[in-house]
Amino acid sequence: MKTNRSKTWLHSLPLLGLLYGCQVLAAEPTLCGPTGAAPASGTPILVGAIVGKTGPDDFSSAAAAARAYFKCVNANGGIGGRPIEYVIEDDKWNPETAAQAASKLVKDRKVVALVGSGSFIEMSVNAKLYEEEKVISMASACAVRECFEARNIATTNQGPLPSNLGAVQWSVRKQGSKRVACIGLNIPSNGVWSCDAVNDWLKQQGLEGVSVVFDPAAADFTGVILEAMAANPDTILLNLPAGAGLGVLKAAQEQDLRDQYKWIAATPLYDSKIPAALGDYWDGHLAVQIELTRLDGQGPDAKRWRALMAKYGVGDSRASNRIDTFSQAGFVSANIFVETLRKLDPNQIDRASVSEALRGVKDYHTDLLCAPWTFGTGNKHMANHAGMMVQVKDLGYGDLEGCFEVEIPAIYRQVESGQGA
Amino acid sequence: MNSYLIFLLAGLAIGSIYALSGVGLVMLYRATGVLNLAYGAIGAAAALISWQLDQWGGFTPLCWLAGIAVAGLISLGYGLLISPRLEHREPVIKAMATLGVLLILLGLLYSLWPANPRRLNLPSDAIAFNMMGVRLTLTRLLAFITTLLLTAAITLFLARTRIGLLMRALASHRQLSAIVGIRVIRIEVLAWSISGVMAGISGILLGALVRLDAGALTFLVIPALAAAIIGGLQSLALTLAAGLLIGVVESLCTLLPTLSSYRSATPFILAVLAIFWLQRNNRLLFASHQ
Amino acid sequence: MTHTLQNSAVTHPADPRQALKWLAFGALALLLVLVPEGLSAYWLRVATTAAIYTLAAASLSLLYARLGLVSLAQVALVGVGGWVSLRVAHSGHWPFELSLLAGGIVAGLAGMLVGLPALRLRGLYLALITLMAAAGFNVLITAVQFPNGGEGLRGFNPAGGTLMVRPWLGQSDIGMFRYCVIVAGMGFLLIEWHRRSRPGRAWALIRKGEACAMAAGINVSLYKSWAFCLAGFLAGIAGALLAASLGTLDARSFPASESIMLAALSIVGGAYSFLGAIITGVLYRVFPAFLDNLGMAGDLSYVIFGIALLHTLIIAPQGIAGQLLTQWQHWRARR
Repeated sequence: MKTNRSKTWLHSLPLLGLLYGCQVLAAEPTLCGPTGAAPASGTPILVGAIVGKTGPDDFSSAAAAARAYFKCVNANGGIGGRPIEYVIEDDKWNPETAAQAASKLVKDRKVVALVGSGSFIEMSVNAKLYEEEKVISMASACAVRECFEARNIATTNQGPLPSNLGAVQWSVRKQGSKRVACIGLNIPSNGVWSCDAVNDWLKQQGLEGVSVVFDPAAADFTGVILEAMAANPDTILLNLPAGAGLGVLKAAQEQDLRDQYKWIAATPLYDSKIPAALGDYWDGHLAVQIELTRLDGQGPDAKRWRALMAKYGVGDSRASNRIDTFSQAGFVSANIFVETLRKLDPNQIDRASVSEALRGVKDYHTDLLCAPWTFGTGNKHMANHAGMMVQVKDLGYGDLEGCFEVEIPAIYRQVESGQGA
Repeated sequence: MNSYLIFLLAGLAIGSIYALSGVGLVMLYRATGVLNLAYGAIGAAAALISWQLDQWGGFTPLCWLAGIAVAGLISLGYGLLISPRLEHREPVIKAMATLGVLLILLGLLYSLWPANPRRLNLPSDAIAFNMMGVRLTLTRLLAFITTLLLTAAITLFLARTRIGLLMRALASHRQLSAIVGIRVIRIEVLAWSISGVMAGISGILLGALVRLDAGALTFLVIPALAAAIIGGLQSLALTLAAGLLIGVVESLCTLLPTLSSYRSATPFILAVLAIFWLQRNNRLLFASHQ
Repeated sequence: MTHTLQNSAVTHPADPRQALKWLAFGALALLLVLVPEGLSAYWLRVATTAAIYTLAAASLSLLYARLGLVSLAQVALVGVGGWVSLRVAHSGHWPFELSLLAGGIVAGLAGMLVGLPALRLRGLYLALITLMAAAGFNVLITAVQFPNGGEGLRGFNPAGGTLMVRPWLGQSDIGMFRYCVIVAGMGFLLIEWHRRSRPGRAWALIRKGEACAMAAGINVSLYKSWAFCLAGFLAGIAGALLAASLGTLDARSFPASESIMLAALSIVGGAYSFLGAIITGVLYRVFPAFLDNLGMAGDLSYVIFGIALLHTLIIAPQGIAGQLLTQWQHWRARR
């Protein structure tokens, strides 16, 4: 009897061992790809990012997400044993500083690529340098025209043009808008560019659009609202960053204009702090287009993103750890980058091979994006052009419409399309 | 015609913002001889501190008082510790020294409250009046009325009261005033703390009316300076009028498409024109003794 | 015997200034030849902009040291020079030097215009007027934008444009650095030449007292205007160099706060000597880059500069350069 019991016990050891092993593996969720045994320790792969952190606004959460992703990858064996060394530079919203940062990353440190850049100005300053030095930037927070018209830059966020077009197209479709006033900043490559695109599209549809652009440093938003009113629209589009958008909405609230116009906004007004700051006046009256998917989305990648940020996300003087759409975009950029790199021979990872591989990224699927993402082979890249519509409701956001394609100008449409890319 | 009226009223609203800070600036200059370029930054500190305390769940009116008190303390601290050491210097140098305070405050405020969407809500935002097609919240009316009252009060104070006289003497020549027997430190304490409190109040009002951002509030001092310049750095009433005028002209420029994109330059253009006008009769002034 | 002793005293003068000049030339040679080769691409760019802003700081110091006037518009004048030089450069295949001079001349005229009200007013008003001008320039340039090869008078193409062509001698980053240092040096020489000749003497007398100057027969308005014009000219040259170095300029780089910062740092660095201008350029551009490398927040540099400004104004009006030079003189005198 004794021997039988001990024999059973002995025989069951492997099974127990197997169960234990499975449990260990299952306990470590694959937040960033296959788990490795030991942290990576080979020759580092140098990756850079340039973010606009210190200044009028903070675009650095994309880099924080990418950093968290790379930390996870390094903790799990890196890329074929090689860790990723990620260097984030702050351009401080200054073009000179942006040029210096690019020199440092591209020429001095010789990064193989840039991932997770988010800035208002660095793309316009450095696009030529990236092309000359044959380095690709997988950006995540683009806001200016030059970012989308550079051969070597492609971003996972939408930026002002598709976002505003999406909001207007939705409004025309669902709310019957006929005359839209586009309130934006008078920066040629941002507000003026995207408002012009909106007006052009409206004209093509036989409808009307008016631009109301103003100086970002303006002290008074009432004048802006009055100017928009003077244009006699039925819909007012807020093509503004969050801070200015709040200011304009407050001025509109002062004038009690909520019910006189239909109010739509581009993606910057989709932020967890906005509904509380707006109060319940705007409940159910402000429709916002979002450039990726909901921050509280329930898809597998969305959950993975939140878990990753919870585990590896950390904020410091280089990048702020915020849960916003830029963070999502940074996660997606890093994800695409790492998966592309995993397909290469670890010993052959250099700038040339990485650039070529990134250019070949096609139809990347994730539930964080509304449509498959393709880098594109052309000289212009507007890879993310599908989004959702939500509205401010109950101190949060309620769904209005699920993912839909935005009709962007022909020059930005990609030559090769997988599925309606 | 109606649209002109609407923009006129909106212009008065923004003009009262310029006037409020401008009056505070001129008041301090007349009382201490120092043009405090950090006025906006002190106001920004008050606004951000009261906002933060409110966010932490404090009793709102106490938060405002705390913010205003901090503004008063900063101003007082500068007036007692640093300003006396520069009493011999030219007014330009005294103004440059306040730039040092501006830089310090700006750096601290930016690092403590980085760019983020924030809104300072005052209970007076909820109450509004309809005036000829434009709605004006109680906050705007309060800003306007506060400016008017403060201008009147301080003008009378400086002109009619004994302490006002002592302040003007102090601003004119600090050392002589001390020799004559004026209690220099006490008067200075009063002048700087009143100025600080005014800066705090205008900072909170501006934070609610404009934007709760350290940089924006700090550099609102520049259009306020324009109003102060037009007032000749002397007359509070003229500064008030100048601030309102600047606001109205700036607002009305919105209606002219060609000028519209340049309308934020209104304060500066008017200030320069005013200077040319004000010294049209001057012969050469001899700047050996300031 | 006494004769020989006297002679030996004459033949070995303990002249700190002479030694200083040799030191300066040595440092310049070092700077031009060795330093650029040893710097990384990042620090080379930082050093280039520091050299450019040294010139701008020198223009500011000129007004402050010679006439006791604070100009809070120098960075705006840099912007004016940049705009004009960009417009000229994009209008045809001129040599860079033409754009450089055009930028300088127009900025000089602009400087003179800004200084016009100050001819009859006290220093505080000039500071305020220049501040107004700087803020006004910001609004103007935001509306007009910098030329980038587009058509028309504005020369601005919203769809993006071409970069400015660099000078023939400054095609590479290293070459551009050397070019900027040489032009800055020539700017210094220009200031020095003025100081030693008639304008310098006129300015010195004006500073002592305008009444005296007028009584001595000096045309005060002319010489004051000349000072503003020269300061504007140098700032404009700096603007042209900046445009060439970066290839393009951005309207958001020229808010009034930058002019304020430059003025503050000029005082901290030391407005009374060329070493001060160099230190200002270093403080303005190298110090923040340095802090950034250490991983410290950019806002910290504002606080440090503010404290430094207060310290300088109260305790050491000659600035850092002044303190260094005083130390140098003590050291030389002791030898």
